[in-house]
Amino acid sequence: MVREELSRHNPLRVLGRETQAVLSNGAFGAITARAGVGKTSFLIQVALGYLVEGIDVLHVSLKDPVDKVSLWYTEVFRNMTEHWGRKQAADYWETLLPHRFIMTYRAEGFSTDTLAERLTDLSEQGVFTPRVLVIDGFRFDGSIRDTLLALRALAEIRSLSAWFTVRIHRHDPPRPDGMPAPLADVSELFEVIIQLQPLGSEVHVIPMKGGPDPLQMPQMMLDPSTLMVKHRE
Amino acid sequence: MTEQTNRVRNIGISAHIDSGKTTLTERILYYTQRIHTMHDVKGKDGVGATMDSMELEKERGITIASAATYCQWKGHTINIIDTPGHVDFTIEVERALRVLDGAILVLCAVGGVQSQSITVNQQMKRYNVPNIAFVNKCDRSGANPFRVIRQLKEKLGRNAVAMQIPIGLEASFEGVVDLVFMKALYFDGANGEDVRTESIPERLVSEAATYREHLLDTASMFSDALTEAILEERPIEEDLLLDAVRSGTLSRGLTPVFMGSAYKNKGVQPLLDAVTRLLPSPNDVTNMAFDMDKEETPVPLACDDNQPLVALAFKLEDGKYGQLTYLRVYQGKLAKGDTLHNARTGNKVKIGRVVRMHADQMEDIESIPAGYIGALFGIDCASGDTFVSPRVRLSMSSMYVPNPVISLAISPKDHKSEINMSKALGRFAKEDPTFKIFVDPETKETIISGMGELHLEIYIERMRREYHAEVEAGMPQVAYRETITQRADFDYIHKKQTGGAGQYGRVVGYLEPIVEGDFIFENQVRGGAIPTQYIPACEKGFLNCIQKGPWMEFPVTGVRVVLTDGASHAVDSSDMAFQAAARSAFRQAYLKAKPVIHEPVMKVVVETPAEYQGPVMGSLTQRRGMIVGSQDEGFQSVIESQVPLAEMFGYSTVLRSLTQGKAQFTMEFSTYKPVPSAISQKLVEKAAEDRKHVA
Repeated sequence: MVREELSRHNPLRVLGRETQAVLSNGAFGAITARAGVGKTSFLIQVALGYLVEGIDVLHVSLKDPVDKVSLWYTEVFRNMTEHWGRKQAADYWETLLPHRFIMTYRAEGFSTDTLAERLTDLSEQGVFTPRVLVIDGFRFDGSIRDTLLALRALAEIRSLSAWFTVRIHRHDPPRPDGMPAPLADVSELFEVIIQLQPLGSEVHVIPMKGGPDPLQMPQMMLDPSTLMVKHRE
Repeated sequence: MTEQTNRVRNIGISAHIDSGKTTLTERILYYTQRIHTMHDVKGKDGVGATMDSMELEKERGITIASAATYCQWKGHTINIIDTPGHVDFTIEVERALRVLDGAILVLCAVGGVQSQSITVNQQMKRYNVPNIAFVNKCDRSGANPFRVIRQLKEKLGRNAVAMQIPIGLEASFEGVVDLVFMKALYFDGANGEDVRTESIPERLVSEAATYREHLLDTASMFSDALTEAILEERPIEEDLLLDAVRSGTLSRGLTPVFMGSAYKNKGVQPLLDAVTRLLPSPNDVTNMAFDMDKEETPVPLACDDNQPLVALAFKLEDGKYGQLTYLRVYQGKLAKGDTLHNARTGNKVKIGRVVRMHADQMEDIESIPAGYIGALFGIDCASGDTFVSPRVRLSMSSMYVPNPVISLAISPKDHKSEINMSKALGRFAKEDPTFKIFVDPETKETIISGMGELHLEIYIERMRREYHAEVEAGMPQVAYRETITQRADFDYIHKKQTGGAGQYGRVVGYLEPIVEGDFIFENQVRGGAIPTQYIPACEKGFLNCIQKGPWMEFPVTGVRVVLTDGASHAVDSSDMAFQAAARSAFRQAYLKAKPVIHEPVMKVVVETPAEYQGPVMGSLTQRRGMIVGSQDEGFQSVIESQVPLAEMFGYSTVLRSLTQGKAQFTMEFSTYKPVPSAISQKLVEKAAEDRKHVA
């Protein structure tokens, strides 16, 4: 019952599918938005969706230290369980933690080889074997195709799927097909692309690729005060 | 006096374990004719090196305490402090570097930059100490001084430059080529005391030219005059080059690297020349004090005997003649008979005996001038205290004292040992700020904490030898807690009415678990079922049970007690009766509330070179740790985890051997969590055993 209740908060429901069916092994998903719109919060809600299903998630941050990422998770989980008893929430949180591992890098120090080495360390020592990778802060400026291809190859070998946050810039308009500029040359590497679009005082969650026809799905938004997903009333 | 002070050098010799610091100091003392015979650190003659005066040092072949001495070299007075290499004795390095003007960083030509080299480097940086490097043991198999220079650059971020190149290496190590004078130096005589200068061997001419070019290029960054001379392709004068190197060294922008083998008596004299030529005198270093009358505004000190005195006590030694306090005088002159103020305590002290140290021997002197190091007898103070002239309100910053990483519980074997142990612990704690003692209020154990197992082992041995205190050491007890997991009701009548003054009290209510806090008491009694004046007694009774839980006798946490009903007797009810009723009610409900044991869980953060990240994580998970995450910082990784305290005993030793001493960890309390059922079962069985023995 707890799982079902928390699954209702899973933002991937906007895609009309169960969590595990959204990305297959080696597949990539992207969450795009301008700075400050809610990409990290959305990503963490996606990650929590997996954790609730008992799926091991490796959270890679290229911008925040471990403490801050950990705090994000605590905050988002607290928002998800605000009507729960504190003990119930605390006990349930303890069951989720072993399924999450946080790795942080300086953006310039991150490479596929380094990541592969760390993944090997984790599995060889029996510490952690992720099935989903969430990467926050990966820079999509410059030529990144080779890096993304290498990451895909790594993901396939390791039976991982991966979600990325993609920052888009106000001064860099989308392409004619609506694809955000940073993804224009690499969009075929992503099975799913979700955009967070501020419209007035609302932030709309729009599946751009890999989802159903938006007109046929109940629309999802982010609550601007908590950055938590909710269905549009 | 300024001219005299210009010819003073206060230096420390620091390095990783077994790099050759003490042997190097022994050679320095020999060549400066301070001693007339050399002895090996762990030689067959059993004498030991001059600076290792403690018996334990001679037996183990390690330096435990820093030792000060002085010598003369080519018109310069060099005050030397030889320091230990083990991280366990890191406080000795901290205090030495705090008061010295320069240092020699000794590196092994085979081992290169090692874990303590990294720590010592950080310590030198902390106190802005200019230093030169000496690559020792060039006679050993696998020696490669150029690899060490590369490591200085890569691992320590130093702008290291070779001032010499070796003539041969390993067994064929003969001498060095000086790249400033472009001459070969050989060390003749029975003990290498005669330095012979020759032309550079033909086979090394090209290599020497290449390294000299690099030296010129690097040094020119610190001298416009040198840059001009290079650009104009003029012959470079030695003094011009040395001045540029000195400028770089004093600004810590450059690390000149020298080479040799102290054990084989090669390369020491040029190193001494470098100390006098490149390292600062007390006049070259700006030392600061804080004006306590002006909100601790920094004030520069002048290395001048005529100014008011400012001196820093950096080391204490308790001996048979009383406390020996080592001091560095930064400003003014400290003379016998002077009256000084301790800036920290405000106490006035009169100076009696003033001495100068040579390892464990002392020489009486009349005064300690500005820029010098000496010692005083009979002054009660702490390490880091500032002494000033009367009416001067300045204070200096103390040294950094790292937190202890390991604890042991100790208990004396007999009554005599108990008294002596107390004396010993008091003395050691006073001398060594990284050695901490406290009595655990819960377990009543005496806990000693230090920087490593070796640190504590040495003190336990010293307690035995110097104080005849035999102690047993073991793992400190973990401060477990008990708590309940579900609600349980109670309804208890405490009744003793068998004639005479009786006791009567009935309490009804329930216990339930809470997430935060140790204990909450709520009174929901209505209609005076329990008279109001007895409610505090009820609360007191419940509180008594919290301190020692009815199940495992651990402190109880996370319990709310709600009193809902009760009854009293007009005559026999009293505070005592209701206290007793509350206690029994608590015990009645407690086991029904399914208590569990909680253990302290620590936030353990390990900093390690990235190559050891895997094994380190494995070592933590083996200790029932949960890895929260890892932070990649280039060559270093920082791993954050939550590990039960019960599993952390001895971890510092494990971590050191896992990472060749290159990793460090910190530990702080995080939270209490339930122990796994297997461990809970063991604790229950142990408690039952203990009760049986007591019974």
